[in-house]
Amino acid sequence: MSDWITITIDGKEIKAKKGELLTAAAKRGGIEIPVFCSHPKLDPLGACRMCLVEAETRRGKALITACTTPVNDGAVYYYNSERARDARQGTLELILINHPLDCPICDKGGECPLQDQTLEHGPGHSHFWEEKTHKTKHYPLSDLIMLDQERCIVCWRCIRYLQEWEDKPQLGLFHRGGETVIDKFPAGKFDAATSGSVIDICPVGALTNRLSRFSYRPWELDKTDSICTHCGQGCNLRIDSRSHRVRRNVARENPAVNDEWICDKGRFATGFSYHPERLQQPLARMNGKLEPVSWQEAIQQIVAGLQNVSKEHGPEAVGALGSAKLSNEANYLLGKFMRGMVGSNNVDYREGSAVLADPRGLPALGDVHDADLIVLMGADPSEEMPVLANFIKRAAKRRGVKLIIVHPRRIELSRYPGIHLAPMPGQEVDLFDALTRASLQAGGEAIPGWLPAEDGAWNTEDVRAAGQWLAQAQKPFIVYGADYAWGFGARDIVTALSNWAVAAGHDDRLGFLHAQANAQGAGDVGLLPNQLPGRRPLSDDEARSAIEALWQTRLPRQPGLGYGGMMAAAASGHLKAMIIMGADPVGEKPSDAAALDKLEFLVVQDLFLTETAIRADVVLPAASYVESEGSFTNTERRLQRAPRAVKPMAKSVPDWAILMHLAQAYWGELPASWQTLTIAAVFAEITRAVPQYAGMSWENMGAEGRQWQRSALEVGRELRSHDPGFDPTDRKYPFHLIIGNQLWDQGTTFAATTEMAHLGVMAARLHPSDAVRLQVTAGDRIRMHSGTGEITAPVVLDDSISPNSVFVPFSFLQAPVGELFDRFGQRTAVAISKVSN
Amino acid sequence: MSGLKDIVDGTREIALAMGVTLKTLITEAPVTVEYPDEPMAIYPRFRGRHELRRYENGMERCIGCCLCEAACPTGAIYVEAEENDPAKPLSPGERHARIYEINLLRCIFCGDCEKACPTEAIVLGHIIDLADYDRHDFLLDKQALLNPPTPNTIIRPDA
Ligand code: SF4
Ligand code: SF4
Ligand code: SF4
Ligand code: SF4
Ligand code: FES
Repeated sequence: MSDWITITIDGKEIKAKKGELLTAAAKRGGIEIPVFCSHPKLDPLGACRMCLVEAETRRGKALITACTTPVNDGAVYYYNSERARDARQGTLELILINHPLDCPICDKGGECPLQDQTLEHGPGHSHFWEEKTHKTKHYPLSDLIMLDQERCIVCWRCIRYLQEWEDKPQLGLFHRGGETVIDKFPAGKFDAATSGSVIDICPVGALTNRLSRFSYRPWELDKTDSICTHCGQGCNLRIDSRSHRVRRNVARENPAVNDEWICDKGRFATGFSYHPERLQQPLARMNGKLEPVSWQEAIQQIVAGLQNVSKEHGPEAVGALGSAKLSNEANYLLGKFMRGMVGSNNVDYREGSAVLADPRGLPALGDVHDADLIVLMGADPSEEMPVLANFIKRAAKRRGVKLIIVHPRRIELSRYPGIHLAPMPGQEVDLFDALTRASLQAGGEAIPGWLPAEDGAWNTEDVRAAGQWLAQAQKPFIVYGADYAWGFGARDIVTALSNWAVAAGHDDRLGFLHAQANAQGAGDVGLLPNQLPGRRPLSDDEARSAIEALWQTRLPRQPGLGYGGMMAAAASGHLKAMIIMGADPVGEKPSDAAALDKLEFLVVQDLFLTETAIRADVVLPAASYVESEGSFTNTERRLQRAPRAVKPMAKSVPDWAILMHLAQAYWGELPASWQTLTIAAVFAEITRAVPQYAGMSWENMGAEGRQWQRSALEVGRELRSHDPGFDPTDRKYPFHLIIGNQLWDQGTTFAATTEMAHLGVMAARLHPSDAVRLQVTAGDRIRMHSGTGEITAPVVLDDSISPNSVFVPFSFLQAPVGELFDRFGQRTAVAISKVSN
Repeated sequence: MSGLKDIVDGTREIALAMGVTLKTLITEAPVTVEYPDEPMAIYPRFRGRHELRRYENGMERCIGCCLCEAACPTGAIYVEAEENDPAKPLSPGERHARIYEINLLRCIFCGDCEKACPTEAIVLGHIIDLADYDRHDFLLDKQALLNPPTPNTIIRPDA
């Protein structure tokens, strides 16, 4: 039996899918039925009556709402009948009774469905001349969103979005009839991480963007299809600019990546690109001070500086850091310059060689939509990838998918049914071993002694159940985050959790969640001290000669230093010169300043004069990603384009172009292997250097990007042994340090969005029972010190934190948590004392 | 043949015409305007240099809606709006123009901006002396457009 049926609208036969809504069927037949409350991503409701059509029923013709009517075979509808037209016209007249019609000052004006439909279907006059009902205008719902109650047409879309996608009912309707208003609940908050989505879906100008308020009219915007680079999901968005200034970001549909949602960071944190403190011109150190110089002079100084060091101390004395926030092209050319021209393998980025995760990232983000079990290990999507978090919430709520969460804190997603296991740092491997044994046993392979000791930090029943669930799941979505793949002990943890997936028969569904936009791509293109482009080891002779042929140069064979290694070598005086592109090691770990100060020569290219940049000999102003072109590879290996939306600020230049200039000056002329003068040409070369990217081009990446095949990179799949767990705490340092990402942080690009910077609140979080023990109360400052350093921070009491631990977020300059662990590890313990003031 | 007659007739015609001139010279006031020493009379519907009007209470009429900009066929107008500071609003309501610029070198004085304006803020006034020494002075900013010499120019009744 076919799923296709035939319906008749206005005498025209239309093929429709059985059970689909009349609005959708009509659309396929070329009839656009006007709607307000209906939205393709929200459940049908039938609140506004805009979509009235006539239907043939057993009792004659009747008016029905097309948006709530599933079509039946042979059904007959009239869209263009006089009665249906009158009904829609009447509905509009009623909707407009109290509408303020202040279109000229309304940010929606020009792209407002109410305007458009009034023009097309409206009466053109009104029977109502009475004074309109007045409600609250100019009502800030949050720091980000402005409400105008008078404009609301009570379509429920915002309410439904928050319920159906965020699962945070934070808006509701109050009063009745003409008095109905939309509002927050009494004393309630409006703080969902994707709250801005309601701006996109509100069919009128009731909910508008506060940060871009009155700064554009829709018709005058230049619209650039791009992506967000705030996290590894790579949500698709559109950058709307005018006069070469970004005005706003709106979501762009890409079903495979972000459906049609973006989070508030991606939507609102745009201010970095036009921040007044952006670097305007190159600076060079003269008599100890950074002074403005011309580009030519800056480049000459860099070439002289690097060549001196390289001649005197050998090329191994030069190192470079790239960035997981920058494009494939920038990172690729940095690697090519360092290896091919300078002759050093000292290249890395913060999330590079130190992260010991699956080099293929996540199998696919879309897997979450039909998963039958979701396993999150050391990842907190609500803070790291809010759009993915919403997908997970929806799976849990709508399809009853269970969650297994392994995380030292109770995270937002812990509120869904499932199992939460909270190993403290150091205990992870023991837990994963127990889970492995539980899964093996569930699969019939009994292994004696599989249960952990009763006094484990987790419940044995939970471990048994979790092991069983994973072994029995058909399509689990299994991810781990950087918390478990970075720093001291990470190799063992990743081995142990991979063992669990292997034991459960799901190693092909296990994936790593990159927190940074291009952490996957920077590695793919070879910015790693021990790997060539294409994630091939340096020792791979075939790969090396292929790259040598492409670059027409000899490549150094000795593996280089990684990020931590370079910092250590700088401190010990073995590394003499560095290029740091888009990274701020000193901001993350202020004590590394001493190491960088020891360098003979330091070049920094960045947007701002960071803590690292002030120590440089030459500082180059880089263009931000909205001002340059580039491709980014997200956590599911999807390559996506971020084209130039506005022209670079002042004298800033895109990172990839800076490297071209540098190469030209370093070599005296641009060698034949560097004649890649456009972004498309650089990308074309990358596709030749990175086998997994073969067949792609700047053009064929298209609007929705292209994924490279996971099968293009083999990763072993067997149970492997690893070192046992450990306990970093002792009597001197009794508290576990738990580090994690916080959505509102003070990362460079976010903090530079001045209007939002205050949202990023730095606090150390303690369990109330620990606070009692330490005699601190909320708001007190505490000092945390480990063997390597100390920081202070105000305290927030939070019972989602496990006792005997303290949570400190990353990326806060006032409390650089990097001080607390050495360059290679983060699983550590701290002592806490109250700061008396 | 009739040369003499032509001369006589011609002389008479000239004398008559000069008589009219002489009579008008004595009986009627001169119509020539000594511009720029004397002001010029301008017809009400004449479209001269733009002015941004205010309300009687001094508030700006312009709400920065950019409709004039959208209507302008030559792209002569540039507007950037801004939110009013509730303590010191420049215009009634929530919004005013932060930047308002008209490039007179582009303008063709069509009056479409005036037609588009929902608040009757921008009008083409009666200033006609538009010559200037510097190209840049043809770019009128908001201050130049506001506070015109004759405030509240009357809107054309048929506009
Ligand atoms: S919501 Fe639409 S119709 Fe209402 S004032 Fe705004 S633009 Fe006009
Ligand atoms: S605020 Fe907008 S989305 Fe929400 S109910 Fe009103 S009109 Fe609908
Ligand atoms: S008069 Fe016409 S050309 Fe001149 S600014 Fe107005 S709309 Fe533009
Ligand atoms: S002059 Fe009139 S049309 Fe132009 S921006 Fe101001 S209010 Fe809008
Ligand atoms: S669109 Fe059908 S009732 Fe609102």
